[in-house]
Amino acid sequence: MKTLSFSFSTKLTFDDYVHDHSFALRIIPPNTEAQKIISCGLDISPAVATKQTVDAFGNNVTAGYIQGDHRFLDFEINGTAEVDSTKHSTFLMPCYLYQSEYTAPDEELRDFYTELKDKNITDVSDRAAFFSDILSDIIEYKKGVTTTATTAAEAFAMKTGVCQDFSHILISLLRMGGIPARYVAGLAFCDGETHSWVEYWTGNQWEGIDPANNCPVNDDYLVISKGRDFRDCAIDRGVMFGRYTQQLQLVRSVLT
Amino acid sequence: MTKLDNKNFMQAVGNADEINELLRRYGVKFGIYKNGVFNEQFFPFDPIPRVISSEDFRGIEKGLVQRVNALNEFLFDIYHDKNIVRDGIIPEDFIYISKGYLAECEGITPKNKVYSHISGIDLVQAKDGEWYILEDNLRIPSGASYPLIARELTRIAAPQAFSENHIVDNRGYAELLKETMEYSNCGGIRAILTPGRYNAAYFEHSYLAEHTGSVLVQNDELFVEDNILYQRTYSGSKTRIGVLYRRIADEYLDPLTFLPESLIGIPNLMEAYRSGNVGIVNAPGNGVADDKGIYYFVPKMIKYYLGEEPILKNAPTYLPFYEEDMKYVMDNLERLVIKDVAEAGGYGVVFGSDLTKEKLEEFRKTIIAEPRRFIAQEVIDFLDLPILDNGETVMRKADLRAFVLSGEKTKVWASGLTRFSRNPDSFVVNSSQGGGFKDTWVLSQ
Repeated sequence: MKTLSFSFSTKLTFDDYVHDHSFALRIIPPNTEAQKIISCGLDISPAVATKQTVDAFGNNVTAGYIQGDHRFLDFEINGTAEVDSTKHSTFLMPCYLYQSEYTAPDEELRDFYTELKDKNITDVSDRAAFFSDILSDIIEYKKGVTTTATTAAEAFAMKTGVCQDFSHILISLLRMGGIPARYVAGLAFCDGETHSWVEYWTGNQWEGIDPANNCPVNDDYLVISKGRDFRDCAIDRGVMFGRYTQQLQLVRSVLT
Repeated sequence: MTKLDNKNFMQAVGNADEINELLRRYGVKFGIYKNGVFNEQFFPFDPIPRVISSEDFRGIEKGLVQRVNALNEFLFDIYHDKNIVRDGIIPEDFIYISKGYLAECEGITPKNKVYSHISGIDLVQAKDGEWYILEDNLRIPSGASYPLIARELTRIAAPQAFSENHIVDNRGYAELLKETMEYSNCGGIRAILTPGRYNAAYFEHSYLAEHTGSVLVQNDELFVEDNILYQRTYSGSKTRIGVLYRRIADEYLDPLTFLPESLIGIPNLMEAYRSGNVGIVNAPGNGVADDKGIYYFVPKMIKYYLGEEPILKNAPTYLPFYEEDMKYVMDNLERLVIKDVAEAGGYGVVFGSDLTKEKLEEFRKTIIAEPRRFIAQEVIDFLDLPILDNGETVMRKADLRAFVLSGEKTKVWASGLTRFSRNPDSFVVNSSQGGGFKDTWVLSQ
């Protein structure tokens, strides 16, 4: 067990005024078997009333609406958590067995899976570790090539990506083999941004693996949200009106 | 039909042109998208009503109430404990591969556990008089306003037909709909959400809003604040909406939960819904229950949830997913009707008898490659109904969309939309395929 203190902030700036801005944030880490949230404060600017709900995947959703003109939206969380990665969640949603928007394989990825399948590794954890090993050999970790819209199949074709892409490809492979798998967004290996990794179902519990770093998940990982793929875990989603043409997002995270 | 006074009946028939002219003037149209182009076309009315005896209707009514109650139980189960899957009644794949299943709706319990408030159940009557269920529509079934307005006009054109025949008044639909919406009202006004006048059913949206005393709204006048849905008023104030009868598809409902590119949705509507602050009619995620693949399992649902024998039969259906059924489908393809489970509105329906030998072979391969994508059904020998075609009475295939409303009690509207095919050889009666409609008279004695 380890006590982590975390801080995460996002600054969203528009090049012109916006109004009637609805947003949904998934930034408050959930209390789970493996992590106990001791404290967590949320600050949003401009000041706005928000409401909390828990979505279908168990994520905390903070929803708000800013009617008047504004040019920015900043939000920040600060808190501490006790993380114990030896504890595991044991609730399985069946949808995690099925491919989703980002993970649906194309022919190339399916063929790749078919080749790997012949290695005949039966233990689920061994299989996940084996896939992760292979991916770290053939996919180059490189920023700026893929985007948040890149699917597993697209990233695999380019043999390049960041943590999000590694996660999507691994999830796709696991699901092709009949292993339920889910996408996790959170904080770890802090290089000032958010991280993503994967959890797979062993048959009776969820186990974590970090394919971008090719290592198991330990007490240095703080979960913020989980879902079928990136889409369910987007830190912030918003709809706004105005004549802005660009928005700039700055993200900062610290985990100690 | 024999019970009807022939003279009055022919009088109504004689006024067909007048009624169609009135319908045109009222703007009763049906819009369809074809090759990406939107066309509004007149949905022709045929003045010869379909007549259902009171005895026949009582049987249908009981069967439909039973079916819709089971479907509502199923929806609650699927979005919560999933006992029907755990108990092996429905294979898991059929639920989670269905496009209508929305994982985002897991754990949401709508007010009073009603998911399908307005169910449009399509039936056909066979030549032997037996009724069969063809399809369940639990998302946003349209068409209720057509028989309403046609009845209104026929009443003006041929009043004697109504004074001398005992026909159940169908004008209660609006009241029934209002009751149903109120039962799911979470505190606030009633509203009907339309995507706008370019939608195929815009006429119906405005008609129903007017007759149920609901406000007709588009998304640009709605917003969610503190997880409560509001309508912005011209004076700058806001009015809380307690129940929203939405006439837009699930995927477009909330760009922050479903398709981000949706321009007709309401951001954070799903948060308001999940918080129990607004009722959504019908509930998002209902598509999992009216999927053509799930249709096969509805009689099993009735037994599972209600412990009753199904009153109304499904058309005999085969799932190539099951080995035994696959064999039957392969052996009998040339006389079956095959439906693509992902398609709706009469699209993706293929009659084996229409296919050449080569096409049949090709189709066999497609079914073997994707068994989950198709269902196969026996072609039912429909009872033909008379329609007027250039002054002559001809016989055409027709179905019946019955409307079942679930409020405190489940009730069947004693009317319905009878649709017929223009083409004498066609079995497809969907309005998006260019057919017409008739009024449906349920006799009171």
